Amino acid sequence: MNAAEIYKLSRLAIFWLSVTFGAVWVACWGVGVFIPSLITGKMPFLLQVDNPSTTVVFIADLLRSLTPILSLLVFIPINAMFMVLFERRSLALFTVRMGPNRHGFDGLAQTAADAVKLLFKEDITPRGADAFMFTLAPIIFFAPSIFGALPLLAAVTNNHDLFKVANLPTGIFYILAAASIPVVALVMAGWASNNKYSLVGGLRSAAQAISYEIPLVLSLVTMCLLAGTLDVVEIVEQQKGGILNWNILGGGALSGYDKLAPYWLNLVDTSFDTSAMFGQFYPVPWLSSIMAFVLVICTVLLFGLYLTGACAEINRIPFDLPEAESELVSGYNTEYSGIKFAIFFLAEFTNLFVVSSIATVMFLGGGDNPIPKWILDRLPLEPISNALGSLLSPLIKDLMFIDPATFWAAFWVIVKVYSIVFFAILVRGTLPRFRIDQLMDFGWKRLIPLALILFVVVVFARTWVVCHG
Amino acid sequence: MANLLDRAVESFKRVGEGLKTVFMHSFREPTTQEYPEKIQDLAPHFRGRLALAVNPDTGDHLCISCRQCERVCPDKCIEITAHKSPETNKLELIDFKIDHGLCMFCGLCTEVCPTTCIINTNDFEMADYSRESLIYDIKRLTLTQDESTYYFDKKELPRPKPKAAAKPAAAAGAAGAAAKSAAAGGDAAAKAAAAKAAAAKAAAAKAAAAKAAAAKTDDGETKAEPKAESKSEEKAAEPKADAEAAKKDVVEAKTEDITAEPKADAEAAKKDVVEAKTEDKAAEAPEKDAKKDVKEAKADEKDPE
Ligand code: SF4
Ligand code: SF4
Repeated sequence: MNAAEIYKLSRLAIFWLSVTFGAVWVACWGVGVFIPSLITGKMPFLLQVDNPSTTVVFIADLLRSLTPILSLLVFIPINAMFMVLFERRSLALFTVRMGPNRHGFDGLAQTAADAVKLLFKEDITPRGADAFMFTLAPIIFFAPSIFGALPLLAAVTNNHDLFKVANLPTGIFYILAAASIPVVALVMAGWASNNKYSLVGGLRSAAQAISYEIPLVLSLVTMCLLAGTLDVVEIVEQQKGGILNWNILGGGALSGYDKLAPYWLNLVDTSFDTSAMFGQFYPVPWLSSIMAFVLVICTVLLFGLYLTGACAEINRIPFDLPEAESELVSGYNTEYSGIKFAIFFLAEFTNLFVVSSIATVMFLGGGDNPIPKWILDRLPLEPISNALGSLLSPLIKDLMFIDPATFWAAFWVIVKVYSIVFFAILVRGTLPRFRIDQLMDFGWKRLIPLALILFVVVVFARTWVVCHG
Repeated sequence: MANLLDRAVESFKRVGEGLKTVFMHSFREPTTQEYPEKIQDLAPHFRGRLALAVNPDTGDHLCISCRQCERVCPDKCIEITAHKSPETNKLELIDFKIDHGLCMFCGLCTEVCPTTCIINTNDFEMADYSRESLIYDIKRLTLTQDESTYYFDKKELPRPKPKAAAKPAAAAGAAGAAAKSAAAGGDAAAKAAAAKAAAAKAAAAKAAAAKAAAAKTDDGETKAEPKAESKSEEKAAEPKADAEAAKKDVVEAKTEDITAEPKADAEAAKKDVVEAKTEDKAAEAPEKDAKKDVKEAKADEKDPE
């Protein structure tokens, strides 16, 4: 039993997660809530004018609207540092090693030191490289991970006022569009480097992205079909109320059972006639039940399909052909050094985070509490939450530092996202890299047909079941 | 179609199995050994830095300058300087150099050595600042007696026989032999030789005392640790080298006065040096004994006259 190392890994995760999200939280609160309320509320009082001037109001609004971007800018570097360390430590765990444990408190500061080192490295542009494109590539690679993730912010914070502005009615469409841009940057980086390895890496990434974006998008399109909307906030709203409502389990096909289960299990008033309600959710009794079952299978497969496609999309093992170390040195980023390399690195890990968040939002119910309601009802949470509420009331009410609903939504999103990240690391520790022809085979001959079949099945199955949409 | 499904299910199973195996690894103790803190127990025949052993029982240098190792070395990184002593008609080792920067630790030299003199130690921490400092001379190569004992025991090598250098007559009594030679060769020469021998002995005694002190400090750090030994080696090697120098002095003294019959003298002086050393080894209170040795050396000095 390897308790010591597991304990160290969890300590690392808890420490870095609190640092990461604490920093983001404080930054958002400071810029989005505290400073605006200070300059619009307190300043006029001190200056003894009745109303704040229009300029001050404008500045306050500007600050509020910049909060989503700011939160990402604070979040991305710290998160990347955490994820690198987390990945290294977890991989060490899987390969029966120890991982970085020298620098700082048991290696906690390792990536911070790495980041500093990376920033001080010389920035080299190889001779014969297209200097402009060479510089542009990391920027184009990095930018989508900032603006592409914006609509997700509202979805993962329970539609918090500050992040509402970033939401779009066609959120998932926008996110997918943004997520396909980095490929351009990879080809650009490969081509501009004046290096054959880089070029091959870039071309591979183009081929791979074209092949794997189709199943990826098809799986998400199918989920949107079940949800009946492209708005991520709405999709999260629909999935509220327990595990059976989540999209991964039939996209709402089971929510009827979820609602009826308490009556059947005699947990509440038994005299209630459930058949009418049952008919409401499942119009044709036996066929509907079968179809609900089929939908559950389909959505679970779609989830797997999404994870596979996403893995390929962000070039992670086993789909890391564009940067296959053993074949292509480092693929498209062979020639990059210093801060440009750091940007590639940042973007890669941010992309991993973003695709995990998309999976969380689209399949795993976003910030929904996975613990069933009937368990929570039995626990004495009421007094605890009341006590905490009164204790923290200055923070909650006066300073608006904590919004309990947002806090819990964010908490569960973090748990789910990092579970997926952990799974991705586990996959990385297990599976070897695909060969390029196997990759193409797998993409075109297996995943795309499967995605299309699932799409058609879902289209027909959902006519007999009342889903979210 | 059914075939495809079967294969899909099969591959899912396999991937799942793989994931499970890898995940279960996280419950195993890491096999990593954190090196500077914890040094692995090396196998007896680990091929580390080369060294020249001395006889664990007597402290004689084991090398007979046969140059087998020099010849067999594929990298030609051993360089032996020896000359044939005109008196004994035997090879005398003057210097022994191994370029550890060239050596590939194949261990061939240790295989061919007829006296198990050259051995692979367990020391592998040889990082140095320049290529030149990787060339080890005889001073750095020669192990102390304790270290030799350690490696002979560890590698389970047969103990070498003590050098059959002194002839029975000489062995009977060094002083007698010296006196005989003095009678035969002429007073002046014999006196000079004896004085030299005495000086050599005094030096040897001093060296032995220093070595004993070093050994004493070693005792605290347990002999079983190769690392500790290798550290103390620097200290220990020096008195050894002194002894070598003393021996060489004796040789020089001999070569100077060829008129006298130097053979017995040389043997006697050498024997004395050896005796001084062995006595010292046996002693339990080394410092006291070293003093005694000096006294004895003085007594010896008087004896031939
Ligand atoms: S170990 Fe091999 S290479 Fe090194 S000195 Fe001996 S024979 Fe030469
Ligand atoms: S083979 Fe042994 S005895 Fe011969 S020269 Fe080399 S170390 Fe000396």
